[in-house]
Amino acid sequence: MVAVAALEYDAELMLRVKEGDGASFGLLLEKYRLPVIHFLYRMVQDHGISEELGQEVFLRVYRSRATYEPTAKFTTWLFRIATHLALNWLRDGKNEKGQERLDDDFGQTASRDVPDRRPTVEHSLVHQAKLEEVRRAVELLPEKQRAAVLMHKYEEMEYSQIAAVLNCSESAIKSLLFRAYESLRVRLAHMA
Amino acid sequence: MKCPIETQENAELLLSYSARRLNPESTAILEAHMELCPACQEFRDGQRALWEALDQWEARPVSADFDRRLYRRIEEQDRMGWWARTFGSMRPVFLRPALPLAAMACLVLVAGFIIDEPRQTVVPTAEVPQVVREVEQVERTLEDLEMLRQFNLVAPVSNSDLSRS
Repeated sequence: MVAVAALEYDAELMLRVKEGDGASFGLLLEKYRLPVIHFLYRMVQDHGISEELGQEVFLRVYRSRATYEPTAKFTTWLFRIATHLALNWLRDGKNEKGQERLDDDFGQTASRDVPDRRPTVEHSLVHQAKLEEVRRAVELLPEKQRAAVLMHKYEEMEYSQIAAVLNCSESAIKSLLFRAYESLRVRLAHMA
Repeated sequence: MKCPIETQENAELLLSYSARRLNPESTAILEAHMELCPACQEFRDGQRALWEALDQWEARPVSADFDRRLYRRIEEQDRMGWWARTFGSMRPVFLRPALPLAAMACLVLVAGFIIDEPRQTVVPTAEVPQVVREVEQVERTLEDLEMLRQFNLVAPVSNSDLSRS
């Protein structure tokens, strides 16, 4: 019931945006800014690019206001735009991503912590190393599997919604997720 | 119940259970099955460990000026009207690294054609119609002369007929 109410509210907000209500766009931005950018960040694993793509997602939402029709859940539509942009970026720019990206968080955190010589330094380094392994394992997934896992795990989206975003059948998404989690379990088994 | 590991259609139960999104009734049935099924227990433990590992991956906070940048772009587009709406949507296209390279290659090709062009033998354009006109005039004159010659052959007969009448 909560989900239905949320759907109606988001769609209603978007319909108000269509009528020229800028404040409703602000509410949608406030609500979905973090989920969209965090999803994009985990997809492309680059903070700057994820924000640039995030800007493009909301810009497209705003530009499409005149033709918007609430035929699907607002979040399905929103994440379809985000996924489309992320997959395009990955396909076009995969080989261009700098090696520094893999190390950026790790390097910065390590250099900040070492001079302090606090007891948590070792713990922090171990945590960063584990985090790096998780990031790497997710990065190694095929793009569609990665998008499905991120939507399922972090955005807590339903199978039907993920299927609509990725333009697949629900059963295809279930088996895709099953395979993706299986790969991740194998790659991260040593962390258990 | 059928083992979810063995039957693909029940596999989603294990995923939903691990994500803590399974309803209480199905959870109870699945947990009862797990008590007897080592394969499902192994899956559950592995998936729980994976879930905890994925939980560690927190995304970084969004830049404080994200909204300001977005609204500035929206204002720019509204101000620029149809031009921005048409070509502004191509912004991600220009982010693609292959496109500047392709554009550069096109420029080099076009420049190559332009540089090559003077080397070709060029026929003066003004002379071509002049020659054609002269040939046409000669042809027309010859045709006219032929017509006059035929006319002169026929004309005396016609004139005598007219004087007789």
